[in-house]
Amino acid sequence: MITDLNRRVVAVVYVLMKISFLLHNAYGIGGTITTTFNLAQALAERHEVEIVSVLRHRGRPNLTLDPRVSLRPLVDLRRDKEHPSHLRPARVFPRAEYRYEQYSELTDERIGECLATTDADVVIGTRPGLNVHLALQAPRHVVRVGQEHLTLDNHPPRLRTALRRAYRRLDVLTTVTEADAAAYRRKMRLPGVRVAALPNSVPDPVLPASDGTAKVVVAAGRLVPVKRYDLLIEAFAVVAAEHPDWQLRIYGKGEEHDRLRALIAELRLWNNVFLMGPAAPMEAEWVKGSIGAAASNFEPFGMTIVEAMRCGLPVVSTDCPYGPGEIIEDGVDGRLVPVGDREALGAALLEVVRDDELRRRMGRAALENARRFAPEPVVGQAERLFTEAVSARRAGRPVAPERARVGRVLISQGFAARDAAFGAAGSALRIVRRQQG
Amino acid sequence: MSTEHEEHARVGCTVDADGRIVFGLAAGPAEGRRLLLRLRPKKEQPEKAEVLHSLALEPDEEGGLSAVLGPEPVLAEGRWDVYLLREPGAERERLRPGLLDLRALVDGHLRDRRSSPAVRIPYVTRDGHLAVRAWLRTAHAEAGGIDVTERSTTVAARLHGATLLEGAVVLLRLRGGQGTALTLKPRPEGDGRGFSFTVGHEELAAASGPGRSVWNVCVRPAARTPLVRVARLLDDVADRKEVFVYPQVTVGGAVLRPYYTADNGLSVEVAKAG
Repeated sequence: MITDLNRRVVAVVYVLMKISFLLHNAYGIGGTITTTFNLAQALAERHEVEIVSVLRHRGRPNLTLDPRVSLRPLVDLRRDKEHPSHLRPARVFPRAEYRYEQYSELTDERIGECLATTDADVVIGTRPGLNVHLALQAPRHVVRVGQEHLTLDNHPPRLRTALRRAYRRLDVLTTVTEADAAAYRRKMRLPGVRVAALPNSVPDPVLPASDGTAKVVVAAGRLVPVKRYDLLIEAFAVVAAEHPDWQLRIYGKGEEHDRLRALIAELRLWNNVFLMGPAAPMEAEWVKGSIGAAASNFEPFGMTIVEAMRCGLPVVSTDCPYGPGEIIEDGVDGRLVPVGDREALGAALLEVVRDDELRRRMGRAALENARRFAPEPVVGQAERLFTEAVSARRAGRPVAPERARVGRVLISQGFAARDAAFGAAGSALRIVRRQQG
Repeated sequence: MSTEHEEHARVGCTVDADGRIVFGLAAGPAEGRRLLLRLRPKKEQPEKAEVLHSLALEPDEEGGLSAVLGPEPVLAEGRWDVYLLREPGAERERLRPGLLDLRALVDGHLRDRRSSPAVRIPYVTRDGHLAVRAWLRTAHAEAGGIDVTERSTTVAARLHGATLLEGAVVLLRLRGGQGTALTLKPRPEGDGRGFSFTVGHEELAAASGPGRSVWNVCVRPAARTPLVRVARLLDDVADRKEVFVYPQVTVGGAVLRPYYTADNGLSVEVAKAG
């Protein structure tokens, strides 16, 4: 059993490490970039940290990076866009990866070179294709950590097949939820790989928390179908009918904007539901509300849920795979309702809208409970994970003990066979289409 | 090492319910530093003598610098850009926004204002700098809920700095129409401040000429008193046009739509073929 006492003892034995993150494009915008910057900056307190950005398309990153973290691009698109090797397809970066089109023989070469010559103790890949590079090309003395910010079940079968082969050569694989970690352990045979959940962290808010009095429900994210803002707006209709002084504010932009605008008009909710446009940072917007809302069908983690809670808002969310259920404690610091269930979502919102005392109590609990996603505890977890791996490597021990049992092997082989069949069917279909076209 | 663009300083602010703004900058030497608020000249107008307010920056409890904009000076209506002066005579620098804590403004429409309503909403300009929008009215009519049906649009509003008396009228004034106006009777709500009115779509369409017409909504609270613009100013939303959006209605050949102007005034747009 790990008690507080021996946890503290473990915390003292950190070794000084050189840590290198391999990131798709540090100069863009997105959750992976934010969370990688946060983690890198926090680790830089005690370690030497660099971010290697495979691509670069502008002078400076959108996010300001702590000067203690060095940033090194490999392919500068402003210069290398027409490089002959950049026009040829990648062979190491897996074809089934989402970003395959942005990779090339040039990225293959530069990433390979970067890994071959690295003097880091730990190299961390931040997306499936880069994890594959790491697995195949990092020298043996380097601890190879693959990070998955998406989820296994949502990867296409062909990608899963590619990852199944490569990921065996990682030392550590981190997912953002326990549920996804369990999926990797169950469906992929990864002997010798330590699979662990490492949630995203959300920086400590600067502003005082919400006091729970504002009659505003806040939601934020890209306006894309999977976020189900349509469901949220429909569910809010019952709130607006009973409490016309309450608003729903939705922050973000995206392809669904016009459709959502039309839905608001159709439901006659234009006095209560507002598409606010994008806001960054969201913190000043969260504290204007007293309830956070999320209606997604799928949420690999649920960063905005944590953000809202860290600002003192209870969050009413669908209990979709995977994040919300691991963040929200139903009835304590928010509410969880079945996916796609408009009535349940409306009823849960109404419950928290109606009861001022319940809302404030849940808000206080949210503030308290979301502290586990503060940078400090999350970075502590990461640091422990990396330290243990580096210590094991230095002592010549395996990073994870061989744990595969026969049952697990059979299960994972079953999943592997299914993915392979899907993959084959997929290519067969493409061949047919090509012939028809 | 020099960077491609000089990093701009960031300034956050907190607004309280009375419109007092406390600006906060990260640490730096306080000596001689000031914040400057400058009223942006209107487009196509020659830059007149500049309207400036200068605020002292003082070290604060959190180890940064802060400057307070109290109820005085009263800000003239318009957009005020915020600058940093590093020392007397130095060139003024635009400031990037930090966190803008405007939560005290969110339910501002619930607080009655007696006279000369003055509103200030800090916001981020399109080019990413901090500015403050100010409205200064002798009286103001705050629009609330707007109900749009096929036949009519009904607006609930509340007066600040004026009282609805006998002879009160709501006027829809045609923009650029040399005084052309449609007169409606407001329905008072009892305390002399709240009222509502209904715009008949057919009537407004008939009064509009071909092409695009814009009707600005005003109220005359009592006979022979100045017109008060109906607008929505009393919350945290500095630019309302793209956020508070109402449906359009087709009547005969005309398409009508209530909307908020760039200055958050309530208007009705009529587009008529022909």
